[in-house]
Amino acid sequence: MQKDLETKFLSDFESNQNIAHKICRIYTTNQDAHNDLFQEITIQLWKNYSKFRGDSKFSTWMYRVALNTAISLYRKSTRTIKTQDISDFTYKIKATDYDNTEELQLKALYTAIHKLNDIDKALIFLYLEDKPYREISETLGISSVNARVKMSRAKEKLKNILNP
Amino acid sequence: MDLLEKYKKTWDNQPDETKQFSALEIYKLAHSKSSSIVKWIFIIGVLEFVILNSLYFVFDMEEVYTEYEKMGLKNFIFYSQIVAYVILFYFLVMFYLNYKRISTTDSTKTLMKKIIKTRKTVRNYVLFNLSYMALVMIAVTIASINTNFNDLNNKQIILIIIATLIATLLILGVLWLFYQLLYGILLRKLNRNYKELAKVNDTN
Repeated sequence: MQKDLETKFLSDFESNQNIAHKICRIYTTNQDAHNDLFQEITIQLWKNYSKFRGDSKFSTWMYRVALNTAISLYRKSTRTIKTQDISDFTYKIKATDYDNTEELQLKALYTAIHKLNDIDKALIFLYLEDKPYREISETLGISSVNARVKMSRAKEKLKNILNP
Repeated sequence: MDLLEKYKKTWDNQPDETKQFSALEIYKLAHSKSSSIVKWIFIIGVLEFVILNSLYFVFDMEEVYTEYEKMGLKNFIFYSQIVAYVILFYFLVMFYLNYKRISTTDSTKTLMKKIIKTRKTVRNYVLFNLSYMALVMIAVTIASINTNFNDLNNKQIILIIIATLIATLLILGVLWLFYQLLYGILLRKLNRNYKELAKVNDTN
């Protein structure tokens, strides 16, 4: 039984790991911190997997656990912010559809997001991932009216950073 | 088109992380050690309990107890220590329960609320430790003045009281600073995030 559960978890997580990677990119600024947070997210996901009833999609559940880990259970993330390594953000884009502006835009977007506080980061991340307000409010534990208000403020902040 | 909508497209088109973990690597990660804050609060609490109590093995308590007996404090120390141990044990259980109860599957706000509750347990634990220490020091001072009352003049009594008062405050101050540092570092970021979330619900 335990073995089945584990196999299921491994395949679910393996195919959805990009969610965790994106959260790590948002909350950390170098590869070491990225890997540390990724590890902590993996631990938390596995620790709670037995409680995952499957009444929502695995990915929906994963967004919540991974974000919660980044916002509240993870210790090191604030310390590493100052040692920003630009080269870490040159995410390689496939040679065939190489577009320099896309890459620069992505870099600008990440640099801007890094300047937001933890909660705003979470809001902007969920916005970029195109999550409905119902899910955003459930994930963060605030009413959906407040989620909208908070979101519009976070977006405003992000716009000001991107386009001062 | 809205500026952020354009960036959303960029976001959607971003390449996957070059380092993709295999199932085997994920398996290894899932079974490695967690470094979460709540776990550390629990570990530090247990360590403190163990270290404080192993001090009794290092020091020669026989001598200290004879000293207490001379002052007529033997019963007070004995019973207050029993009470203190019961309360300390209660705190350890609370630490453990808090640690167990905290689950990342809650909403962020509930999760942080639980962590803040853990913080309160820690604070009460610190307060209890400090006040117990103060109580013992005060009792010892009063008792030692009582036993030596006939040999002391007024000036000496006042000096003793002032000296113990300063010593007590100094020790308590250092301990308080130590606790602030230890748990403050662990909890500062959490507190800030919790306030941020709480603020949203209050102002609207």
